[in-house]
Amino acid sequence: MKTDVLIIGGGPAGLNAAIETASRGIKTIIIEESYALGGQLKQQTQFFNNLPKQFDRQRGIHLMRTLIDRLSPLPVTCLLKHKMIGVYKDGRIGIANDTETFPIDAKKVIVTTGAAEETDLFPGWTLPGVMTVGAAQILINRERVLPGKNALIVGLNSFSAEVTKQLKACGINILGVIDKNVSVNDKKLVDGLEDKKIRVMVNTVIERATGAGEVEKVTINNDGKKEDLDIDLICIGKGLSPILEPLEILDCEFGFQAKLGGLVPKYYSTLGTSNPSVYVAGNAAGITCLGGILVTAEIAALNALKALGVLNDNEAKISSSFLWDELRSMESEESIETFIARVAHIKEFHEECELPLPASFHAILEGC
Amino acid sequence: MTDQYDIVIIGCGVIGSSIAYHLSEYKQKRILVIDKGFPLSGTSGSTQAWVWVHNKVPKWYGELSMYSAELYPFLERKIGDVEYKRTGGIAPFFAQTDRDKALRLVEEQAEVGIKVEVLTRDQVLEKEPALSPKIAGATYSDMDGNVNPFRLVELYIKAAKRNEVEFSFYNPVIEMVMEKDHYKIYTKNKKDAITTERVILAGGPWSKEIGELLGLDIPIKQVRGQVIITEPLAPFLKHTIGGMRQAENGEVLIGFSKEEVGYDRRTTMDVIQETAQMAINYIPSLAKANIVRSFSGVRVIPEDGFPILGKIPDKKNAYIAAMHSGVTLSPLVGTLMAELVMEGETSICLERYSLKRFMNYA
Amino acid sequence: MDKSTIVCRCEEINVDEIEGAIRMGASTFDDIKRLTRCGMGPCQSKICMNLVRELIANNLGVSISEIPPPRMRMPLKITRLGILAGKTSSSNVVSVFDEASLEAGER
Repeated sequence: MKTDVLIIGGGPAGLNAAIETASRGIKTIIIEESYALGGQLKQQTQFFNNLPKQFDRQRGIHLMRTLIDRLSPLPVTCLLKHKMIGVYKDGRIGIANDTETFPIDAKKVIVTTGAAEETDLFPGWTLPGVMTVGAAQILINRERVLPGKNALIVGLNSFSAEVTKQLKACGINILGVIDKNVSVNDKKLVDGLEDKKIRVMVNTVIERATGAGEVEKVTINNDGKKEDLDIDLICIGKGLSPILEPLEILDCEFGFQAKLGGLVPKYYSTLGTSNPSVYVAGNAAGITCLGGILVTAEIAALNALKALGVLNDNEAKISSSFLWDELRSMESEESIETFIARVAHIKEFHEECELPLPASFHAILEGC
Repeated sequence: MTDQYDIVIIGCGVIGSSIAYHLSEYKQKRILVIDKGFPLSGTSGSTQAWVWVHNKVPKWYGELSMYSAELYPFLERKIGDVEYKRTGGIAPFFAQTDRDKALRLVEEQAEVGIKVEVLTRDQVLEKEPALSPKIAGATYSDMDGNVNPFRLVELYIKAAKRNEVEFSFYNPVIEMVMEKDHYKIYTKNKKDAITTERVILAGGPWSKEIGELLGLDIPIKQVRGQVIITEPLAPFLKHTIGGMRQAENGEVLIGFSKEEVGYDRRTTMDVIQETAQMAINYIPSLAKANIVRSFSGVRVIPEDGFPILGKIPDKKNAYIAAMHSGVTLSPLVGTLMAELVMEGETSICLERYSLKRFMNYA
Repeated sequence: MDKSTIVCRCEEINVDEIEGAIRMGASTFDDIKRLTRCGMGPCQSKICMNLVRELIANNLGVSISEIPPPRMRMPLKITRLGILAGKTSSSNVVSVFDEASLEAGER
């Protein structure tokens, strides 16, 4: 199988990248491991206000529909229940489905594998009933299953706060949201939870979780003060980190950026990686908001198109400046630190490769 | 002076650590083992770890392998459980015309006491019912087996540490200077030289690079092997099969590949797919098993295939041990190298394994 | 923390076992993996990768940014052998019997 552009992962980043490449008539294949496109949008019932200009404010599940509808008339092959499992000696990508393994020969690869949720280490974390907040959200919104009756949430961030509210709306009793940090920068988050009568405890960690066959009790430690809670659900919201496996076997190098989720592939201002045919976008390129996921996908697609000779330099330059401004505005809305870390990450890699940053990028640097 | 030793061993793989342990049994010398990385990060940690005797030819090489395999039970009594299992080894063939070759192997090995049998298809299937009925026959010996290479190296090191051997990991050797009655060894992590009366090169795939530090040309090749591993399966393979074995935890390790690509530890879909096909040719029912991961290791293959062992000609108090099948040979090589260093002679003659054989050509 | 807390749930490796490997000089995930089997199970370290990197960083008193990730292994997702099997063959993959007789022939 041959293609111009191969996109690994059919979540919001992959879909938006495919819309960009395919709408230019470029042969595009999306590989998606699950039974349907959409990635994590499949269970995101929350409303997103901060989206690129071509999208109205809408719920995640509706955005998924919007993206798929825009994609469907375009020349895109979507291989569902197909997974990337390896790389051949000559650089072709190894794909497996339910019946066979075969190579795809792609001129450009855009990796949009998204992120994985981090877990937390405490005695009893492996008990049934302990899960990530993302897993709990899949259960209530996609599988229509209540994961428990009495829950403790560990880790306070915008995603865990959102899921906490959704769990409560389903009738789950929330005994508290705890966070090990002494203070929470985002007062809005705390207020939003306390408005819903949800207890927020900072400087608090889980000492241990216990239970016979499943979690029944948890001991929390609030600055030395211990408290036992009867619960049957612990949701861990320790944050996300980029999924790196496909990038590693494609020989992409990694750097470390705490604000982007830890280990992140190194990339240029084009979102091209150290492997000249591989681009990265979405959460795989550093944890960001949904708006950031969508815009980075456009930037990567744009530069892949330019490398394929579909766009001329001038077209690419104008679009690129516009997209970087849009990315800054998206990421500033949630946390300007993400954008600053991303720009620092790019600058470091350009310096390492002794490759000057494009002139259009200098204004962005000054803005940081 | 803390940086003075009687013996420095360069390389802490299965060979370096075995020599260190066997030397430490004498409890006479101050010994240091230096490694550029961490134990098991190289060849000794990326092997199927067969203890394999029966088709090592010619017979004198088979004999060396046999003596080493026979040392394993004694070794375990000294250093602990390395999960050595004498499973018996089966090397299947698919063409009836291979039977003559197999019979010649039986004759040759019999001369040194290695008992090899040629099995018919029915005999093979009786021993291992999972093997393919397309197999024409196999050579078999009850001397073969396997070991857990991770436990083996770890326990060599721990036993040596109990005998006060010192170790320095993540510390590449960058320079070696031969002086009148000692060697000066410069490493990455120490400003001052380490001085030692004797030095033993046990660098495995890096033997060429280490040899160059003494102005030597060590004639070895680096040959990559890729191995695929199944999920844990209920025990169904009793023997070590040429190319595959089932580990104690139920995983089946499968590998048949040989590639000369330098020190490149990547795996490739090309070889993984071929290896999977080979596995199904041997054991059709494996098609249903899940593959969890693959790894590759870089074998050390001396130019003529046989171990390079003993004193380094023209270098006073310098020794080398570089070979393929280090797991099979480590108990014996450790024993013999320790004898050579401590007593000046060995209970099995190592003459034919000397580095000298390559120097004569030059 | 209780040293018997499981870190790698696939292979059931606990904090104590990982810290034991660190005391032996292990300083990367892969060093620990080979000594303990941590990360060798079905999830191939996808769950415990950062837990272990954090433990190493804390024990050695360095930043987690200095601890490299484990080497990723093909197949990236668990795949049945029959689905993986290729249809082509090359001289890179040979049976052990052929290998031995070849060597005998050469000498």
